[in-house]
Amino acid sequence: MKHDSWLAKKIASGDFIVTAELLPQASTAIPEIEAAISFLGNSIAAVNVADNPHGPVLSSLAGSLVLVKAGMEPVYQIVTRDRNRIAIQSDLLGAGALGIRNVLCLSGHHQTLTGSPESANVYDIDSIQLIAAVKQMRDQGVLLDGTEIKGVFPVLIGAVANPDMNPLELNILRLAKKVEAGAEFIQTQAVFDVEAFERWIEQARNQKITENTAILAGVMPLSGYQDAETLRDHYMDLSIPDSIIERLKKAGDEGAQKKEGLNICLETIRKIKKMDGVKGIHILSGGKEKLVPEIIASLD
Amino acid sequence: MIVAERKTIPELVDILEGHKKILVLGCGTCVTVCLAGGEREVSIISSALRIASRAKNLSFEIEELTIERQCDNVFIEEAAKAVERNDVVLSLGCGAGVQAIAERYLEKPVYAGLNTAFIGILEERGIWAEKCAACGACVLDQYGGICPITRCAKHMLNGPCGGSREDRCEVRPDRPCGWQLIYQRLKGIGQLDRLKRIVPPKNWAPSLGGGCRVIVREDHRI
Repeated sequence: MKHDSWLAKKIASGDFIVTAELLPQASTAIPEIEAAISFLGNSIAAVNVADNPHGPVLSSLAGSLVLVKAGMEPVYQIVTRDRNRIAIQSDLLGAGALGIRNVLCLSGHHQTLTGSPESANVYDIDSIQLIAAVKQMRDQGVLLDGTEIKGVFPVLIGAVANPDMNPLELNILRLAKKVEAGAEFIQTQAVFDVEAFERWIEQARNQKITENTAILAGVMPLSGYQDAETLRDHYMDLSIPDSIIERLKKAGDEGAQKKEGLNICLETIRKIKKMDGVKGIHILSGGKEKLVPEIIASLD
Repeated sequence: MIVAERKTIPELVDILEGHKKILVLGCGTCVTVCLAGGEREVSIISSALRIASRAKNLSFEIEELTIERQCDNVFIEEAAKAVERNDVVLSLGCGAGVQAIAERYLEKPVYAGLNTAFIGILEERGIWAEKCAACGACVLDQYGGICPITRCAKHMLNGPCGGSREDRCEVRPDRPCGWQLIYQRLKGIGQLDRLKRIVPPKNWAPSLGGGCRVIVREDHRI
C-alpha cells in the first residue's frame, strides 16, 4: 500500500481540493486546537499543522495527532531548520505509528527570522533531500542509513513552492527537482500577483510538472494594509503588489479593510480556479481559522 | 585568510582587570591583513589600555610585541622571553594562535583579544566577507566555484529557498543570495545541468560534526 491518505484519495478523485492551515500556539491546551479545528469544517480535504514557523509552539507532530484523534486529516509539516537527519527520521517514524498520512517537507523560515534568532543553525539536510528521504522510507522501507523499517509508512509526500521567486527558469528547475524527488503535491506560497502565478503555472504545465504532482495554490485573506505591509517587509518569500496595499488602504476603516482583504482573496481564488494545472487551493489563514468557512462558502 | 575583529576596550579591560604586567602579542599573518591584530593594532590597543588603566587606577604595565605567526612553534619561540617577563598574554592572534600560545605556556594565563570570525577575503576596502566554512569535503567543483554551504544561510545543496530574491538573501538582505550567484555562474559557464541533479545529504563528519579535526600526513611523520 503506497498511500493510506484521504488527501491522496481526494486528489485522485479529481475534485477541486481545499486545504487549510492550523498554526499551533505556545500552549498545552488541547481544547484550543480543537476549537480552531471546529471552524475548519468538513469541506477541507486536509489541514496543515505548521512546524514552529515563528518560534517555539506546540509541535506539529503533537498537533497532527490531535487532528487524527478528532477525525480530521492532518498534513504534518516538518522543517529541516531545527532537527538533524536522526531527529527528523525518528519523528517521521512516530508520525507513521500515530496514523499521520501526509507529510509536507520544507526548509522553514530561517531561525533569525523567528522570535528565537539566537538559535543554532541545523540545516543538516535541505528540503529536497527531506522529500527524497521520506520517499525512500515509504517506498524502500529503509532509513537513510539503510536500516530496515518495520511496519508500513503509507504517507503522501508534499512540498512547497514560491511562484514569485525569480528568475522563472531557476524557480521551475527547483520545482521539477522537488517533484522528481517525490513530491506528490505542492502547496504554494500565498498568491497575490495572479499574472505572475499564471506565468509560473504555464511553465510548470509546459514542462509536464503539473501532470506529476497536484498543485494547490496558496491564498491568504489579508486583514488590512498594515498587516499586508508587515508581511511584505518581514518575509521576502511573500510578494504583495503595491496595488493590493493601495486597495486595502482606500477601503476605509479596519472593518472595511478586512472585508476588502477577503474580497481580494476570493477574486484571486476565482481567477486561479480557472487555470489549467491547478488542482486546488491551500488557505493560509495565518491563525484566522474563523475565516475559512466564509471562503469555502463563496467557492461555488 | 582568517578574518577576525577586535574586542572592545571595555571588554579587554574586564578580561585583564587584576593583572599587572601584560604582553599584548600581535600576529603578522592573517589578522595583520584584516587589520585586527597586527603590529599597528597592537600599538593602538596598548595605548588604549594604558589610558584606561590610568583612568581606572588599574596599574597595567604593557609590553608590545608582534611575531610572524602565532600558530607556528618556530615563531612562538621568538616571544618566549617577553612571555616569561610578563604575568599574562593578551593575544591578538586568531583562535588558533591564542591556543597555540596557551598550549606552549601552561603556567601563564593567555587571553583572546579578538573575536575570530571566518575564513574570507577582502571584498572591497573595509569589507571582508566569508567564503569558506571549512566543511572538510569541498563541493566547489559542483557549484561553479561558489560555496552553497557558506553563501546560503540554510546550506541548501539543491537550489535556493523560497525567500531568494535576484538581488539579495532573505536572511541577510545586505548580501546577495548565494544560490542566485551559483545559478548565474553555472549558466554563464554552460553547466546549468549540474543543478538538475538531486544532491544527496552531505556527510558532515569531516566538518565540526565529527569533533575536533586532525590531519595526519604519514609521509611527513618522522
